[in-house]
Amino acid sequence: MTDPARIPILVVDDNKDNAEIMRQYLEAQGYPITVAYSGEEALGVMDTAKPSIVLLDVMMPGKDGWETCRLMKQHPVLGRSIRIIMVTALHAWDDKREALQTGADDYVEKPFDLPQLAKTIERNVAMLPSQP
Amino acid sequence: MWRCCRANPDRARVTLSVLLTDSDDSAIAEAVAQLETWQLSVKHERDLSLLIEQLPDVRAVLITTDNPTAMRDAVERARERGIPTIVGSRDETTRRRAVELRVDEWYRIPAPSEEIAARVRSAISRTIPTGEALADRVERAEYERMLYDGLTGLPTLPVALERTRSLIKERGEMVVLYLNFVRYSKIEEIYGWEKLDAVLETTASAVREFLTDSALSASRVTTSFANDDDFIFFHVPLPDVAAATDPEITTLVVHLQQHVASRIEATHGEDVGALIDIYVGRSHVYYNPKVRLERLIYRGIREAANNAKSVEQRERGRRITDLKDSLRDRGVYIDYHPIVVAETRKIFGYEALARGVRRSLRSPEVMFEVAADGDLIWELSRLCRARAIEGMEARLTHDELLFLNVDPHDFADPAFTESEVKQPHRVVIEITERTAIKDYPKFKERLKAFRERGYRFAVDDAGSGYAGLGSIANLEPDFIKLDMSLINCIDTNFIKQNLVASMVRFANDHGAMVIAEGVERAEEFAAVQSLGVHLVQGFYLHRPIRHSGPEAAVPEAAPEPAAT
Repeated sequence: MTDPARIPILVVDDNKDNAEIMRQYLEAQGYPITVAYSGEEALGVMDTAKPSIVLLDVMMPGKDGWETCRLMKQHPVLGRSIRIIMVTALHAWDDKREALQTGADDYVEKPFDLPQLAKTIERNVAMLPSQP
Repeated sequence: MWRCCRANPDRARVTLSVLLTDSDDSAIAEAVAQLETWQLSVKHERDLSLLIEQLPDVRAVLITTDNPTAMRDAVERARERGIPTIVGSRDETTRRRAVELRVDEWYRIPAPSEEIAARVRSAISRTIPTGEALADRVERAEYERMLYDGLTGLPTLPVALERTRSLIKERGEMVVLYLNFVRYSKIEEIYGWEKLDAVLETTASAVREFLTDSALSASRVTTSFANDDDFIFFHVPLPDVAAATDPEITTLVVHLQQHVASRIEATHGEDVGALIDIYVGRSHVYYNPKVRLERLIYRGIREAANNAKSVEQRERGRRITDLKDSLRDRGVYIDYHPIVVAETRKIFGYEALARGVRRSLRSPEVMFEVAADGDLIWELSRLCRARAIEGMEARLTHDELLFLNVDPHDFADPAFTESEVKQPHRVVIEITERTAIKDYPKFKERLKAFRERGYRFAVDDAGSGYAGLGSIANLEPDFIKLDMSLINCIDTNFIKQNLVASMVRFANDHGAMVIAEGVERAEEFAAVQSLGVHLVQGFYLHRPIRHSGPEAAVPEAAPEPAAT
């Protein structure tokens, strides 16, 4: 069983209430959480937060979720191992194709129910490269 | 009442970190005692924001006041100085306020000292830069990406130029090699971007490997990654070493091509290997103090690039001749790639994969590209079909199906008719989703005629575009062959799993079967199996089986299928 305390999660959402709900819920599960309120900010904290998993809102002013995802996946050190979960409803086929193009690994629909969020995170944790 | 307590006096002398707070909660003092090299400084809330500026060693601020103005002032002042903030809140209102102010950490009072210590540690480990500091950091990261290619780690052109500048001045001359890798974009189209990234990485490491072992290692070489798939070498010989001569470079280039090609083939398989071509162009740059150096080098690069282009042009011409010869002596053979039932792994049928006998035409993609160049598409299609059907009799047992690739344009070929095969019910015609169909009603009419004779249809590369399921439904296929990019790494990508699951549902609703192509690993096989995919094709299960190998391709006197 993986120890959640060793899986840092970066929550990116310009809606503070949403970000806060996710943060509280996930912290209660034992994950270390960093919150960023924009794509730019998220990219800025990558090096210090060193997230294993990113929860990334798609609709944000400035750099949107797609652009942020693409840039995160290009990170020279973390890009390889990072798992990115888009927080959006990907109903349409082309949305999902778009998500694949940017390198996203999973998505969770908004508005989400929290147990679903937890399940989504767990299945992505299982996919992380095993830690030394 | 306000006091200062020393947490760890011995260590404190080494490095001093002060936690500034407005609370005399003993849990905070205990927390600081747990943090090595930290000291606590307790001040009144109204002095916090002022002291953040005045005390030199403040590394974090812990605020517990429920006075909104005092909290905001302290948080903002701390942020300006890049100092992380932690808020201890007694009620929900204060907590919300803290969140609004975007403090780095918060906790609910009362909290055990361990938690407070953890909050402080966590706050200092991930201070979020804001304002200018943030913009600066993002911009810097963007610049770094511009200077070095993330994938290959190679410097981009501006960096390479700077490095070369002093070398060429000193030596007076330089050789520029321009490596033009052709059809890398095809890899992305067929296998998805993940594959292309992997191939580029292999390419870069093969190039590096080669350089350290080659004659060029006795020179100073800077490699640069120019475009999405081109490399540039700047070769400046070491002092006292003669520059590589033209024949030397020619030999070198040949070896480099071979080395890269064999590495790619070994790592990514024969199909990918056969797809790629490398054309190398070269130029000589001589230092001229009258001309600006950048200009000299850019000219050199352009000349080398043009040179690579003309090498490619010559090669294209040569290949058209090769293709004409192949059409004359039927120089095409067929690999039969088994398609198995996902559940039982029993062979269900074979996809016929045409390959050129001549080495330069080994890959079907290359063959058809050359055919398009030389206006020979129908002729080549006819030969490939004829070869596949010939082999079918010997290769296939009676209940196995032959999957035959047919380009939508072939339906306009008068020589391609429903009576091409004796047992049409054993043939599945694969039509790619990638080619746009011009005259749709006419095309559907032709399909109907084939269907009535007993032929079945498969949509190839399904899901490759953004179009989704609608365009697939239009063709009423019996089989849906998933685009390979959806299968590559499907075991770790849940979006791909979701797409494939919806494709399977769609197929089940329409009485079609889904084929997963390009299954290369056990994990991918397990994933598509569990998603309910009906049929599977890929190296993990079977490699293509050669029926009529090159040796069997006996030149004959042009037995072209008769045109009506």
